[in-house]
Amino acid sequence: MRKLLLTVLAASTCLAAPVLADDDKIVVGFATAETGFMQAYDKPAQDAAMIRIKEINDAGGLLGKQIEVVNADTKTDRAEGAKAGLSVIDEGADLVVVSCDYDFGSPAALAAESSGLVSFFLCAESIKAGIQGVGPHSFSASVLAAVQGATMAEWAYNKKNARTFYRLLDTWTEYNKGICDGFDWMLPQLADAKLVGEDTFLNEDASIAAQITRIKSLPQEPDAIMLCTMMPGAVSAIKQIRAAGINSMILNGSGVDGSYWLSAVPDLSNFYVPVQGSIYGDDPNPDVTAFNAKYKEATGGDPSTQYVYPGYVMIDVWAKAVERAGTTDADAVVAELEKMKDEPTLFGPRTFTSELHHQNQARYLIVETNAGKPAVVDQWTISKPIPVADLMK
Amino acid sequence: MARSVIRRSIATPVLLSLLLVAFALVAWAAGSKPFNQTIIDIFLKVIFVVGLWVFIGNSGVISFGHTAFACLGGYVAAWTTIKPMLKATSMPGLPDWLMQTEIPYWAAAAVGAGWAALWALIFGAVLMRLSGIAASIATFAMLAMVNSIYSNWESVTAATSSVVGIPIVRSVWPYLIAAILAVVIAWAYGISRYGLALRAARDEPTAAAASGVDIPRMRLIAFVVSGAIMGMGGALYANSIGIVTPDTFYLGLTFITLSMLVVGGMGSLSGAVLGVLILSTLIQVLRWLEAGVKIGTSTFALPGGVQEIALGAVMILILMFRPAGIMGNRELTLPRAGSDKPGRAGPNT
Repeated sequence: MRKLLLTVLAASTCLAAPVLADDDKIVVGFATAETGFMQAYDKPAQDAAMIRIKEINDAGGLLGKQIEVVNADTKTDRAEGAKAGLSVIDEGADLVVVSCDYDFGSPAALAAESSGLVSFFLCAESIKAGIQGVGPHSFSASVLAAVQGATMAEWAYNKKNARTFYRLLDTWTEYNKGICDGFDWMLPQLADAKLVGEDTFLNEDASIAAQITRIKSLPQEPDAIMLCTMMPGAVSAIKQIRAAGINSMILNGSGVDGSYWLSAVPDLSNFYVPVQGSIYGDDPNPDVTAFNAKYKEATGGDPSTQYVYPGYVMIDVWAKAVERAGTTDADAVVAELEKMKDEPTLFGPRTFTSELHHQNQARYLIVETNAGKPAVVDQWTISKPIPVADLMK
Repeated sequence: MARSVIRRSIATPVLLSLLLVAFALVAWAAGSKPFNQTIIDIFLKVIFVVGLWVFIGNSGVISFGHTAFACLGGYVAAWTTIKPMLKATSMPGLPDWLMQTEIPYWAAAAVGAGWAALWALIFGAVLMRLSGIAASIATFAMLAMVNSIYSNWESVTAATSSVVGIPIVRSVWPYLIAAILAVVIAWAYGISRYGLALRAARDEPTAAAASGVDIPRMRLIAFVVSGAIMGMGGALYANSIGIVTPDTFYLGLTFITLSMLVVGGMGSLSGAVLGVLILSTLIQVLRWLEAGVKIGTSTFALPGGVQEIALGAVMILILMFRPAGIMGNRELTLPRAGSDKPGRAGPNT
């Protein structure tokens, strides 16, 4: 027992002295997953954030100070997430960056909020990742899932003349429901667009034969199927739809971006995904392609999905707000962020308001997969932002 | 007679409490927020494992379902401590009186304990008639059931979404008090006639039954007491990180608490507490090594994920050399605490 106490005492003294906030540097704390399944989502976005931090430091820093980075591993665990948040706060973080997903990022974000610090979710797409679920100092760097559904509906209606829609929802996650919520909000606003049927399934379902039978038994094949799902179940669902001979266009959220899974559905065509930036080297903005090269140089691989980009946007908008506020003080930075209206970034304009620290309208590139080859074919911004009241349902 | 039992065994809860106080003092002296949170986490695990011990240790029936009671308690904290306005959006299906209720966290912990105890009574009335492996499997089914209900009852539990807005308590002292309370309750139960009767039934069911011990009833009492402790722990867990989700209280928590109990020694209360303290300390040290330790000018760091592997290896080693756990059936006592048995520690039963 004595030995145990000694160990604890010895161990705790190693950790005892917290690093105090220094005046000649600015600290960004990453309370993100370095191990566990969330690592696959957090790491790429964090790498992108590091690229932006390096750019800023190379250009002389922020407010004349260098940005320093501290890390703590959440281990893809909520209780560990709270500790990781507190840990980077103790190390003097001025900005606390938390895990991609709302469920796993919120404990650390709540810790930052109660210390009065600005927190940013790396790529959460739920409205709760922000004021509504954490507090007035919390933001998300990505775009709401609902915007993706709304974008695809409006774009397909206007550019592809889609009039009959079928809605197929995988009820596994909030993200999936978010896409379909956006679709549901947009559809009644499109004159003579009709929902000819809807169905649900679960990501882990091995077979969606029953759902497919119902689509097949419609008098006419729908123009478009709004598929609200994500990996890994998405691949199997898409494969089954096409194998059944349904050739309607399939609309999706950004969660199925990437070419890594396309070999599982050979020669997939008529398949559309909204993305914030293109990983395929054909982004209309040459700076995005330049960023992709930088990313490859830093990490040794191309970005695998568009979820790399929000990390870059996050540091970009935060640094601008700090520059304008002239301080890293949380309230001043939040005030500057909330003044941003259509602030240009590499991946489209960004807006924050005192009501919403998230994007309820955003420019999306539309990627079409044709004969197994994805490429950017268009871009689209929904005609009006989705009202916060509709997002809170 | 009763007094002498208390005198003979009082050293155990006192020593264990002092050990917990020592941990709290270390956290207080270190003054580091994450370390403080780690100690809070350890106290919560102490509550859970002591809660498990009350039932498993005394009845000998392994329960895989006690995390369900933590879940019940955790959601009580969500229902009663979140501001009514926030509740209206995330859990619109709550009855009106509950919607308007806003009580302090310690009261929520007490209500959580009561709510969990009520369900322990209802489930236990049925399950405690089973014995051995059948009872274990049935408790597991109970866990799956509670988890399914809480993961799907959207209007009351917000389904699988995180419920936020629970006031966060970051001071270590309330958790210390709760952990000590759990230890004292467990000790008091252990030396009570019900505890004694249940241990008799564990070791010699036939003889115990022949001596007039109503085994299902004795088990039920232990089940309710342990359910209440788990409920209190669950509510405090919710207050420690500020969110609850059903999957927090599922297999992960079940297995880590069970392994802490097994490694510490299922047969003794000291084993339950020491199992948590030793394994948690080990986990923490491995985490620090993973994060990197400076030796001279170079930083030494283990690759990420080693912590989980090393923890598993250490647990196997402990069980190889001490199959009954670190403490076996013995309790921590003072060398001469009025015990009539020689040596540092006497057998428990």
